[in-house]
Amino acid sequence: MGFFFRQARQNLSQNLGINVLTLGTITFAFLICGLFVTVAHNARALMEEWGGRIRITAYLVETVTAEGADRLRDQIGGLEEVQAVNFRSKEEALKTLEGKLSARTGLLKGLPRNPLPASLEIQLKPPFRDKAGVDRLAAKLKGIAEISDLQYGAEWIERFSAFILLLQILGAGGSALLLLATFLIVANTIRLNIFSRREEIEILRAVGATSLFIRAPFYLEGFFQGLVGAGLAWGLLFVLFQFFLIQVYDPLKVLFGNFSLEFLPWEYSAGFILGGVLLGVLGTRVSVGRYAKV
Amino acid sequence: MDEIVPVEETAKKAPEIGFLGNAESLEVNPSGSSPLEMVGVCKTFEEGRQALTEVSVRIEKGKFVYLLGPNGAGKTTLFKLLYAAERPTLGELRVNGYEVHRLKRRQVPFLRRSLGIVFQDLKLIPRWTVFENVAFALQVLGREKKEIVRKASQGLQQVGLEGKGHFPPSQLSAGEQQRAAIARAIVNEPALLLADEPTGNIDLRAAEEIVRLFEEINSRGTTILFATHDEGLPAFLPKDRIVLEQGRIVESTLTAAAAAKLGFAG
Repeated sequence: MGFFFRQARQNLSQNLGINVLTLGTITFAFLICGLFVTVAHNARALMEEWGGRIRITAYLVETVTAEGADRLRDQIGGLEEVQAVNFRSKEEALKTLEGKLSARTGLLKGLPRNPLPASLEIQLKPPFRDKAGVDRLAAKLKGIAEISDLQYGAEWIERFSAFILLLQILGAGGSALLLLATFLIVANTIRLNIFSRREEIEILRAVGATSLFIRAPFYLEGFFQGLVGAGLAWGLLFVLFQFFLIQVYDPLKVLFGNFSLEFLPWEYSAGFILGGVLLGVLGTRVSVGRYAKV
Repeated sequence: MDEIVPVEETAKKAPEIGFLGNAESLEVNPSGSSPLEMVGVCKTFEEGRQALTEVSVRIEKGKFVYLLGPNGAGKTTLFKLLYAAERPTLGELRVNGYEVHRLKRRQVPFLRRSLGIVFQDLKLIPRWTVFENVAFALQVLGREKKEIVRKASQGLQQVGLEGKGHFPPSQLSAGEQQRAAIARAIVNEPALLLADEPTGNIDLRAAEEIVRLFEEINSRGTTILFATHDEGLPAFLPKDRIVLEQGRIVESTLTAAAAAKLGFAG
């Protein structure tokens, strides 16, 4: 095994030009991928946060008692689509309205009784935060006698769902294309590297080296180039994120409801590095075949 | 060089490591004592060019045989068939006990390990030192580091390149580069040494030294097939000869018995 490591190291240092080119290609391709993934990740997190604001308000009929409301909250809380249910009594509703009217609270003083109904604020679980999910839950809630009315901004939810779907399709398609392009570029750069050493491979074959023996140093090189390339790209991405993305985004933050940008979570970072290694090894796999046959 | 090791044993020396392959599982037929036997071998290339026609030859163990013929006579093609870089279109071909005409691809490395090959264009790796060029033929076999150093040094000494191992090939003269290529070919102690025009690019004096070196290697028991277009070399060192012209054997000094057995009437 030491021989292969020595070979790989020697090849890397002695064919410096072409190896720097390969490494640079991997780094650059991964940096672009990384930027895309970071933006997509944050867009999704933003959408999820906005999705969290999708809720259904169920207004209760006048006759519901405090115990009845509690029972109802437990019943609705047990439904599969529901993440949380908050009860808002008539008094709380009035207080909120008073808060909103502030200076003109006098208007409410003249009322003979509190006209506002008690309500339940129902938050949905993430998989149901779309139009289908809301419709499904609304249908279930409509069957409950104690509920007089439901409010959930159907149109807004519909648009939001369509936007999320578009984002998912664009994200998946874009990532797939970008990955394919990265793979092709890297595989071809590795092929160029192998091509430049075809004479050496021929000599190895002539003295009786097995295919695997010939390929092993190339695989090791691919492995290290992928590892180092992805590692460098990760580092550059981090620097770019800290000193550029955040600086550019900061003034716009308020437009996005003060949503804070997040760097790639560790699972993504690990996947990123692993992806680099896989790409290096697979790139070698498709490139080495033709030249390393005995 | 140490004593010549029979090919079956050479094959068994390869340890059972995935990277190196396991030679013991191969079909080696060590019948007979001739390291090289060709019966009715023809080679036609895809474009229709007939490079070899009905070549039958048998070389006994320990022989030194010149393969003579002008450029384009088919010498290099014949060599390529011997180390399975090309396959015969027709005929049977046995080298060191390997049935080359029906050798599976995964068996090819083991055939080549039983051979020493000196190429016309030397094929030394320019970015390696002379020592590394010689040593890696042993590394391919997975030999111990100590053994590699000992045998590579011994090989260099044998060809008169002691003290030059640390140079890159480009810093050696043409004759010395040729010697380095020979050292690489003999370092595995092959039963059969194939030399394709090893004196092609060097002056007469250096060529004679190279021929002497081959004679010395031959005197230790290695069978040698020495291809050249230079008629002067057999005159300098008379040995058996096969003459190829337009892909056919037109003359042979190999024993009549061997020739008759193969149906060769040249």
